[in-house]
Amino acid sequence: MIAIYKRELKAYFKTPIGYIFLSAFIFFASLLFVLINLQGNSTDLSPLFSNVSLIFVFVIPVLTMRLFSEERKSKTDQLLLTAPVRITDIVFGKYLAAATVLLVGVLVTMLFVPIMELYGTPLIPQTVIGYLGLFLMGLFFVAIGMFMSSITESQVIAAVSTLGIIFFLWVFGGLNIRFVEVLTGPVSFLGTALDWLMNFISIQNRMYDFTLGTLNVVPVFYFVSLAGLFVFLTIRVIERRRWK
Amino acid sequence: MVEIKNLTKKYGKHLAVDNISFTVKKGEILGFLGPNGAGKSTTMNILTGYLSATSGEVSVDGFNVLDNPVEAKKKIGYLPEQPPLYMDMTVWEYLDFVYDLKGVKEKREEHITKICDTVKITHVKDRLISNLSKGYKQRVGLAQAMIGNPEVLILDEPTVGLDPKQIIEIRSVIKQLGREHTVILSSHILQEVNALCERVIIINKGKLVASDTPESLAKSISNVNKFQVRIAGEERKVLDTLSPIKGIKYLKSLGRKEANSIDFILEAEPDTDVRIPMFYALAEAKLPILSLETTELTLEDIFLEVTKGQGGMVFEETQEDEVEFVSQKATKEETSEEAATPENETEEGAEK
Repeated sequence: MIAIYKRELKAYFKTPIGYIFLSAFIFFASLLFVLINLQGNSTDLSPLFSNVSLIFVFVIPVLTMRLFSEERKSKTDQLLLTAPVRITDIVFGKYLAAATVLLVGVLVTMLFVPIMELYGTPLIPQTVIGYLGLFLMGLFFVAIGMFMSSITESQVIAAVSTLGIIFFLWVFGGLNIRFVEVLTGPVSFLGTALDWLMNFISIQNRMYDFTLGTLNVVPVFYFVSLAGLFVFLTIRVIERRRWK
Repeated sequence: MVEIKNLTKKYGKHLAVDNISFTVKKGEILGFLGPNGAGKSTTMNILTGYLSATSGEVSVDGFNVLDNPVEAKKKIGYLPEQPPLYMDMTVWEYLDFVYDLKGVKEKREEHITKICDTVKITHVKDRLISNLSKGYKQRVGLAQAMIGNPEVLILDEPTVGLDPKQIIEIRSVIKQLGREHTVILSSHILQEVNALCERVIIINKGKLVASDTPESLAKSISNVNKFQVRIAGEERKVLDTLSPIKGIKYLKSLGRKEANSIDFILEAEPDTDVRIPMFYALAEAKLPILSLETTELTLEDIFLEVTKGQGGMVFEETQEDEVEFVSQKATKEETSEEAATPENETEEGAEK
């Protein structure tokens, strides 16, 4: 697992992908920071977090698109899958490498905190929990991206489909209430249940939980378990392929 | 060392490998022969655990590839048809990664250096793999398979697409490896298998059609009488003279090889000697025989013989190839085998 992790991490910075991801993410996050916090005279990072999550929608597909699709295209997967390592190790090695690059990006944006210290007093626990939420959400997106990359040989298809899925999940919560009311009428059991479900599924709502400053089990579990689900699905996809 | 039992692989409805069983003994070099699409690569991919069989069992040194994949894979070094190289790494970085990936216990520097020396890639070890020529990429692929000194080496068409000099070099490396390893080698080039392997398995359309040493395979179908004759005279006239002779199954002109003469390839019915009637007939027609030689049955002939009638190839076409090959083999007989092999090889390559 360590060998794969190391190779994957190096590959990020031997190809432009790592740099593109980091520079795009940091640039747009900083831009939002300037607009929202510095120009808005606010030490509250929570609106920033929900906006930064939108940046994720566009940059994470870049981070994950080549993870498995490139290996398959160049047939290097034959090396990995015939080496004496378990598929689980291969998948985790790659996942952790992508997660590390993501973490680097998130850590760099943590520089916002000392910058704000210069002008005011940001709420440190709230901010730290917000960053944790951001990272966990990123982990979930990375897992989705890795999964999409494992089912296609084309990096472009992997990237576009990841973007589509993440974007859909991201806007889902914003749409919910109106849609359900139109479909089922204002008050009905089905409507309420669907409403609750869509609220729960909504990524933005779960991200919002983190910006409140309290660390809840539910949103942490939400992101971690969904990330775990997609990592598991990736392993299954690769195992399944041998039987085709 | 390697045991394959009733192996079957289906891709959807297509049967790629059909109930194949064989074993490979320790230290043996086994040739795996078959036309393109016969199921060679599929079988090798199953052996190495890259694919799973639809049914049947594969075990390496007692470890079942399916139940005990990690242990089984430790015993195997695999060079797939297309070497699995990362183009963004240098040769050394790549081999270093493979060393880590396989969890090799031997001394890192020493081990990798030794392998680089064996396959002669030491002088390119700091170059990016993407900048290497095909021959060198193939060697890096072979080096990758050798890392960790696995007991079994599985090489899928290791000399495909190389130039004659590289082919000879890779073959000598394989021969050298065969002294310490069990080697399974696939090829559609018969001379290669003939030169390297102690035992040959021929598969066609996913079925195992023959399994023996190259020599005894040749013996088992040696009731074919085959000659190459050089006759001074016109082609039409010779054909007219020879065609009434009983017992000639197959006759084909090879064209002019020497001034004022035509070469023919001639196959007689089993257990009939057509040389004597042929001599008199030609003498009567005043067509002197300049030379007449019997051609040894080559693996190529065996191959065509055993794959014939199974729809593996178009018959007319294969006859053509066969004739060309035989003529070349015959003319090259005086020169050393080493020199003749690449000649034939380039032709094989050109046909593709």
